[in-house]
Amino acid sequence: MLAGQLLDLRSKLHNHGVIFAYSGYVTEPVLSGVGEALKQKLTIDDADTKTLRSVFAIFVEQMQNIIRYSAESVGQELPAPTEEGALMEMRYGILTIGREEDDYVVCAGNLVRKEDVGRLKERLERIRNMSKEDLKVLYKEQLRADPEQGSKGAGLGLMEIARRASMPIEFDFADIDGDHVFFALKATI
Amino acid sequence: MRDPLKIEQSSRTPAVDFDYANNHLKISGESYPEDVTEFYRPVFKALDDYLGALGEGGCRFDFALIYLNSSSAKAVMMLMDKLEAAAANGATVDVYWFYDKEDDTMQEIGEEFGEDLENATFHLEKMVD
Repeated sequence: MLAGQLLDLRSKLHNHGVIFAYSGYVTEPVLSGVGEALKQKLTIDDADTKTLRSVFAIFVEQMQNIIRYSAESVGQELPAPTEEGALMEMRYGILTIGREEDDYVVCAGNLVRKEDVGRLKERLERIRNMSKEDLKVLYKEQLRADPEQGSKGAGLGLMEIARRASMPIEFDFADIDGDHVFFALKATI
Repeated sequence: MRDPLKIEQSSRTPAVDFDYANNHLKISGESYPEDVTEFYRPVFKALDDYLGALGEGGCRFDFALIYLNSSSAKAVMMLMDKLEAAAANGATVDVYWFYDKEDDTMQEIGEEFGEDLENATFHLEKMVD
């Protein structure tokens, strides 16, 4: 039973091309630990330096996006990860790294507030359709424009992801309930 | 003479080595701190104090970063702004940006920072293995 279940989960991930996965609360210590493991994994895979750094950079921005987005709930009592309520926490995320032929794909998913979806979508559309040159210009503008270090949704993180990716970023939303939407983001390197 | 600022590198924070005696300041390694503001606060303070006393003297600042996240990019921009301001006030400032030759993104980021320097002299160089 136990072996069968785990084997099944492992096959499912493998069939989706996933070579590395994290599901649970996303926090800074988790980023540190999973980040170190990821670096080693990529080194074992013999990824070239640029690919390794890009996958890692995208991983960091995706994790920090989730951490920042859910920052205001820090300090509140979080339900234990085993409880159903945990899945309704914005800090409960999923991050996978996989292969699609010769490319690496980094996917991240977490809950966002329904009222933020419009703004997020607009920003993502804009970034997705930009050339690398335009992205570079916008990145610099944004770097200068927003004096708040790491302010929520500064957009810099998303631009960094788009700059490091070798294909346009993909994103999608799935309704959860009246207040929450599941947001998924995919970057290909 | 003030004491040099020395911060050891950690897995998420760069090494900082401000050698005032030789007017050679350096930041190297990886930068994606858990709390960017907290990490860079003493670095900004030390640089402000040093540049404030530099007057028309000369200094060299080396950036030798392997990786920086987007919030660290903001901190680097602030360091660059301070160096540029000192140069505009008469100091001779040389800014070196060292990049890993296998990672052209870091080269590009260096170029972008360099574009904003008018009074400080910018040098873009490959890291030596």
